Amino acid sequence: MNAIEINKLSVILSGKEILADINISLAEGKFLGIVGPNGSGKTTLLKVVLNLIKPAGGWVKVFDKAPDECLRQGIFGYLPQHINLDINFPASAFDVVMMGLYGKLGMFKWPSKKEKQKALEYIELIGMSGHESKLFGSLSGGEQQRISIARALVSNPRILILDEPSTGIDVVGQEDFYHLLKGLQKRLGLTIIMVSHDIGAVTAYVDEIACLNKILYYHGAPLGALDERVLEKLYGKNVDILMHTELCDKCERLRK
Amino acid sequence: MEILSYGFMQRALITGVVISILTGVISVFVVLRRVSFVGSGIAHAAFGGVAIGFLLGINPVITAMIYSVLVAFGIEAITSRGRVAEDTAIGVFFSSSMALGIVLISLSKSYNVDLFGYLFGSILAISEEEMLLTIVVTIIVLSTLLITMKELLLITFNEELAVVSGIPTRLIKAIFLISMAVAIVASIKVVGIILVSALLVIPGAVAQLITRSFYPMIFLSCFIAVFSTITGLYLSYLFDLSSGGAIVLIITACFFAAFLTKKK
Repeated sequence: MNAIEINKLSVILSGKEILADINISLAEGKFLGIVGPNGSGKTTLLKVVLNLIKPAGGWVKVFDKAPDECLRQGIFGYLPQHINLDINFPASAFDVVMMGLYGKLGMFKWPSKKEKQKALEYIELIGMSGHESKLFGSLSGGEQQRISIARALVSNPRILILDEPSTGIDVVGQEDFYHLLKGLQKRLGLTIIMVSHDIGAVTAYVDEIACLNKILYYHGAPLGALDERVLEKLYGKNVDILMHTELCDKCERLRK
Repeated sequence: MEILSYGFMQRALITGVVISILTGVISVFVVLRRVSFVGSGIAHAAFGGVAIGFLLGINPVITAMIYSVLVAFGIEAITSRGRVAEDTAIGVFFSSSMALGIVLISLSKSYNVDLFGYLFGSILAISEEEMLLTIVVTIIVLSTLLITMKELLLITFNEELAVVSGIPTRLIKAIFLISMAVAIVASIKVVGIILVSALLVIPGAVAQLITRSFYPMIFLSCFIAVFSTITGLYLSYLFDLSSGGAIVLIITACFFAAFLTKKK
């Protein structure tokens, strides 16, 4: 059974076609990177999977079920693009991780010692022990992102969905962050879908890549996305891809 | 303590403290959700509801509660279409409801209507029934908020996350909106339509200046509201001042004291 099955999906928002005829299937336990320029519909695609936007045509199935059913079962862990948070919002890093459990706990129930223990475990897992009591808004972009990962994972989701998680993190921090994700994928058997505009950084870590700009130009192994024709369709002519890995001979060739 | 020997003072004190606790809790969410203008709009719109009560000969607090809840949902409904901005929608309901109120009152020709009391509060004139109604309303609203509190916190933190977590976001938001409208109308007797935004905004704002944790923030917000109400009432008794005005001035003093002493 595939984790995600997207069939002939199209989305129209305010009369504008955002996505057209998208077909993607993703096996469980894979790490998929979705890349494309700004405004290419990447975030919209994630939101359809998360049942936040209704498609105009086609369908999405998650573990063979409709997305709204999956929300109730807590299948998704989600990191939105912008938290848009007041830096004085009265929540510590620990409080934010606890919020990840609210949906599964349900109404009328309050977190017990067991849940609190679990939150601490996940803070340790993402290497943020010692930061529990700090105000979430006072943490650096990278630290907030790690805490958000713990928040998304603490409810044991089967799919982790991230929208531009590297925004606001320096390059070294980004590398660490992708390593962390890769490690979590292996350790927890997670399926991961990550949207990014940074194709160079993503290719080194993902198992599959999807190149999106209203339609799907490519879906397959990461290296295939570096093909000139795909890149030209995606970003236009004369692109420089900044690679972060040993694959750099390929980008040299691309740059010519 | 001869002040407490008066029945009207006892009722004023009990009602004031109960309302302070209610608005203290609501205020935290008003500040965090940044809906102070919604609150102040609903408060002014309540005037229309009060006038309907006068005209129909029903208790104006009850008509105002129903009317305010409807206005709150009206603002929500118009805004959710995405064609009108929220502050614009509030502006429309705000002034038109007051206009409706004035027209209705002029129609009813009952010039003995205690308009001033509704506009600026009449906590010293609260009857036993009104006090009991306030207590019952407060218990209902606070229990509802307590039940939905962690969900409301998550929605306030990030609404999309709440939806993805499977939380009935629209229901919880509607419950909060109703709670806010009911709390506003219940507070009108204490400080009046014009001043009620002070109770709705300032206690939470002061608490946020002092603490960075959620539950202590709620506690502090209530404490500041209760403290200001008791102090304001006492000063108004001592110096024969408007009680609503005195309460709001004390609470404002708390705000500036916290703002100036809290160096970031």
